[in-house]
Amino acid sequence: MPGGATPAPQAPTLLPPSVGWRPPPVQRRRPEDDVTAGVFRAHWMTIPIQVVAVTLVFVALAGPILNSFGYAWVVVMTVAVVFGTLAYALPTWWYGTFGLREDHLVVHSGLVLRGSREVPLSRLQAVDVVRPLFMQVFGLAELRIEMAGGDGSAIRLRCLHRPLAERMRVAILAHAAGLPGRSPEAPEWPFYRLPFVLLLGALTFRVPILLSFIVLLMLATAGVVFVEFGVVGAILPLTLGLLRHFWGPLTRYTDYYASLSSDGLRLRYGMFQRRMQTVPPGRVQAVRVVEPLLWRALGVARVEANVAGYAGARQGDSATLLPVAPRRTAFALVNELFPESEAAYVPLVPNRSPVPSMVGVDERLFVSTRGLFCTVTEVVPVERVQAARLVAGPLSRFTGRVTVDVDTPPGPVRAEAPGREAGEARRFLDALVEYGRRARVPSAGTERWATRATLTRRPGPAGSGRPTFERPDGGADTFQENGRTDTADTSVESGTEGTGDTPGR
Amino acid sequence: MSPALAWYRRIVVGVLCLIVGGGGAVLLSVWASWYWGAAWAVLALAVLVTGWILAGLFRGSWGYTEGAEELYLTYGVFVRQLVVIPYGRMQVVDVTADLLEQALGIATVQVRTAASTADTRVVGLPLAEAVRMRDRLAARSESFSTGL
Repeated sequence: MPGGATPAPQAPTLLPPSVGWRPPPVQRRRPEDDVTAGVFRAHWMTIPIQVVAVTLVFVALAGPILNSFGYAWVVVMTVAVVFGTLAYALPTWWYGTFGLREDHLVVHSGLVLRGSREVPLSRLQAVDVVRPLFMQVFGLAELRIEMAGGDGSAIRLRCLHRPLAERMRVAILAHAAGLPGRSPEAPEWPFYRLPFVLLLGALTFRVPILLSFIVLLMLATAGVVFVEFGVVGAILPLTLGLLRHFWGPLTRYTDYYASLSSDGLRLRYGMFQRRMQTVPPGRVQAVRVVEPLLWRALGVARVEANVAGYAGARQGDSATLLPVAPRRTAFALVNELFPESEAAYVPLVPNRSPVPSMVGVDERLFVSTRGLFCTVTEVVPVERVQAARLVAGPLSRFTGRVTVDVDTPPGPVRAEAPGREAGEARRFLDALVEYGRRARVPSAGTERWATRATLTRRPGPAGSGRPTFERPDGGADTFQENGRTDTADTSVESGTEGTGDTPGR
Repeated sequence: MSPALAWYRRIVVGVLCLIVGGGGAVLLSVWASWYWGAAWAVLALAVLVTGWILAGLFRGSWGYTEGAEELYLTYGVFVRQLVVIPYGRMQVVDVTADLLEQALGIATVQVRTAASTADTRVVGLPLAEAVRMRDRLAARSESFSTGL
């Protein structure tokens, strides 16, 4: 194109720019884009929404009663309710502010009962931007900041203007990473996109769902053929169950996209409720890979995690990291979450009890695989073990079997190794404690991850590569061997079995 | 552990049995007949004796030791447990003593980690020892701290 110095429109012809043409606006950061200073509040749209909602409810409930006194009463009372709500909503909105002060988030709330919270962002566990359908219509979003204090400690900033929520999320993550708040968002690279067909197929292809569908169909047919309305009593709970376990995940995980960035794992999903989750590095306390019976035929799995902030009522919503993914991807995610470790290389030992399970520990990870039909592989990094327990129930005197329990922050993962022999369990516990002691580096916390150098590991005691668990009878302990010894149990084919040699780490 | 721990449990069980057993026996003798009341009293007595023996076993089962980097804790009569808590994972260390514990001169050191599943308490320490232990544990949890 001639005259390359002048910006030319993207026109097919080589004509000079027309008179009305202007260069496209340069995307420049405006001063109001800076969210690191000043105070912010929810979008003003919340006030009319609140007023309209309260008025509608009032008219619907009290309208018929007031109508018996006359039409004028309805109008007068409705106007009174409108102004009353306005008088409450306006100051609440005006005083409900939040803002960043250095690397603290300060949130003021309430009108009658004034509340003020100051949150150190370095303790942040996860940040979610949630947009329910109703908020999407108005272009609003909710920002959820999860702290490590359990159910009541999450901070929910509702009804924010969406660009504000996005910029706030970036600034909060930058502060949590130890960078200045004006840092741009960390780049991300794609990890996994869930095709809708796979989601639909995998959600359908499960024994309880298939059975429910078949029973539902039979009941409906019977009801239609025999004109029998009693089947409604059975159809209703079935439908509710399907809504909860089939339709719910289907709509929640539509358009699922996971990506990795230096700020951790980013998940975007949802049809009616768009969510964007960010789990910073080192915040995942434990992971489990769940493979239901029929999913193993498909070669897919589900990944769930314990994150300290996702405790309580919302943990079911947020704890799922990959709803449906190929097994390879699932374990690749586990390796991404726990760097410098390889869950598939941990040597596993089967137990000799009716319920098959395998368990293993190495320098970085505790891995246990169990379940006859639904195989569950649990992975806990040894440095994140909150407490290790040896539990001997009342029956253990007769069976000689004890359970090794690994305590993690609350979540779907409950790591344990049931049915181990007492001596073996004790050696296992000692190994777990010893590895944990070596893996916990006091300087390597998870706060301000961007400013930290690469994590260094504490060298073990001189001369011992790994703690030995020699059997008293002299034979090499099975913890040194790999897990593919005997067992025709189902868990062997789960692929987390040891490969015998742990490559040099 | 101090023998006062067993007495603590015995007093709690005894008072409960006295109230429930005695009150129930009187009420039953008034409403029904005296032998229902007597049966109730015998039942309460059996519970009291069981509780009395269990309190002794319970005290004997409880033990702890402070390792180099972990606190070891063992307890349980029916379900025996060995709990290992790394110092670096302790979030809060409390000393609590209710009225009866104060009267007996003992206290409970409660160790909290981010996991809420395990019952991580050291019970029945003399108060001064409990306070010293709390300070030790707090200092160690600080020096071994690794965040969450």
